[in-house]
Amino acid sequence: MNALEIRNVTKTYPNFTLNHLDLTLPNGCIMGLVGENGAGKSTTIKLILNMVEKEGGTIRILGTDQEKDLHVTKQDLGVVLDEVGFPQCLDAKQIEKVLKYTFRNWDGALYRCLCRTLSVPMEKPFQEFSRGMKMKLGIIAALSHHPRLLLLDEATSGLDPVARDEVLSLLNEFTREEDHAVLISSHIVSDLEKICDYIAFLHQGTLLLCEEKDRLFEEYGILSCSKETLNALPPDAVKGVQLSPYGAKALVMRKRIPLGMDLSPVSIEELFLLMVKKNH
Amino acid sequence: MKALLLKDWYLSLRYCRAFFLIVAVFLAGAFFSADNFFFITYPVMIAGILPMTLLSYDERDRWTQYSLALPFTRAELVSCKYLIGLCFFGITFLATLTAVGIQTAINGGFSLSYLFSVAAVLFTLGLLGPSILLPFVFRFGAEKGRIAFYITIGMICAVGTVLAGLGFQTVFPSDKSEFLWLMGFAAAAVYLISWRLSIRFYQKREL
Repeated sequence: MNALEIRNVTKTYPNFTLNHLDLTLPNGCIMGLVGENGAGKSTTIKLILNMVEKEGGTIRILGTDQEKDLHVTKQDLGVVLDEVGFPQCLDAKQIEKVLKYTFRNWDGALYRCLCRTLSVPMEKPFQEFSRGMKMKLGIIAALSHHPRLLLLDEATSGLDPVARDEVLSLLNEFTREEDHAVLISSHIVSDLEKICDYIAFLHQGTLLLCEEKDRLFEEYGILSCSKETLNALPPDAVKGVQLSPYGAKALVMRKRIPLGMDLSPVSIEELFLLMVKKNH
Repeated sequence: MKALLLKDWYLSLRYCRAFFLIVAVFLAGAFFSADNFFFITYPVMIAGILPMTLLSYDERDRWTQYSLALPFTRAELVSCKYLIGLCFFGITFLATLTAVGIQTAINGGFSLSYLFSVAAVLFTLGLLGPSILLPFVFRFGAEKGRIAFYITIGMICAVGTVLAGLGFQTVFPSDKSEFLWLMGFAAAAVYLISWRLSIRFYQKREL
């Protein structure tokens, strides 16, 4: 069973359209949603949660149609939005009491253990937390009811490198269970590169690609060459180009270029940037 | 629902302290002047604004969005505000009636029918404010809803002043119990309709 299936979902705003989005997140996997500001990452997560109404298409969450008893399905979801929405005047203890009555599988011991592990104070009002600390508490709350699917919108932004590493370890730990999955959007592509099994690129509301990360590394490479060499390549082999006075840096499909060309490995960030440039 | 009520209770304890003070001051005022319309009605009308105050904090804290990621239905999110509003209203309503009852008893003018008249007016005014305003708040957000509330209060005061100027002196018609019952039932019905309408508006709101 797939943890998440998005089929042909469309949403239009006055200056933005999320265009016939198709995504499949298998169980046991982490999918990274990459895109520039306004690409549609948050809109995608809002559509999954029915915070905004889709104009067409279907969404299935943990095998259940999103339009059917979503509040029941949400018992198995852990969500962290780009701004953690706990009331500012509450402390971590009070937040726990509220969440205890919210989730039927609430695990208070796990919550307090994670708070200790990530050094989140229990008696300090939420408004006095730093952004990183707020995000940590959001992630802890999202994990403490044993969800099966985590939806994280920019959840690692604002965290210092040590805290980011701790959070990424938690996510890795979380997906050791076969029926667990994570959809995470982030600007920090290096984080996604570390933990994701699948990568989805969104650009201006359109899905450029959605592929297994390892397959992306196998399929694509970076060719540094002259403009003449670049022009001699089959056009369908080149997926993006960055020109400079010294030559060209091209994102190419390994199988489509002549044998013997020296390719360097591509990072997810380079892959995204060069693909976006091609689309411009 | 229990979680939502608990959260709003915490928020009320933190942010609505001024309300408790206002109620205490005005109840003291009502105690010394039980026939003063303003002292008697103001606390219940202010109690009507409390759900909106809580909604404003929810919006500021981004709870409005976050709550939709939690396993609550939109109807529950709306209903919580109506229920918490009813709690505040009920407590204020009973406290005001008690103050008026004690004051009239001390002055020797205690009358059940008068107390019933006061209760009917308080009940109507206390429920009418949130009934009118909460659907706007759930449709457009707390900020615009608050503006609508002040406009409504201003209009009620203006109409009251005009009617008083035209010679309508009987604020609490103690000899018209059927009318008062009807008024109370109408207010309760409007509150329930408003509740339903707010749920409908909030189901369609994009956050």
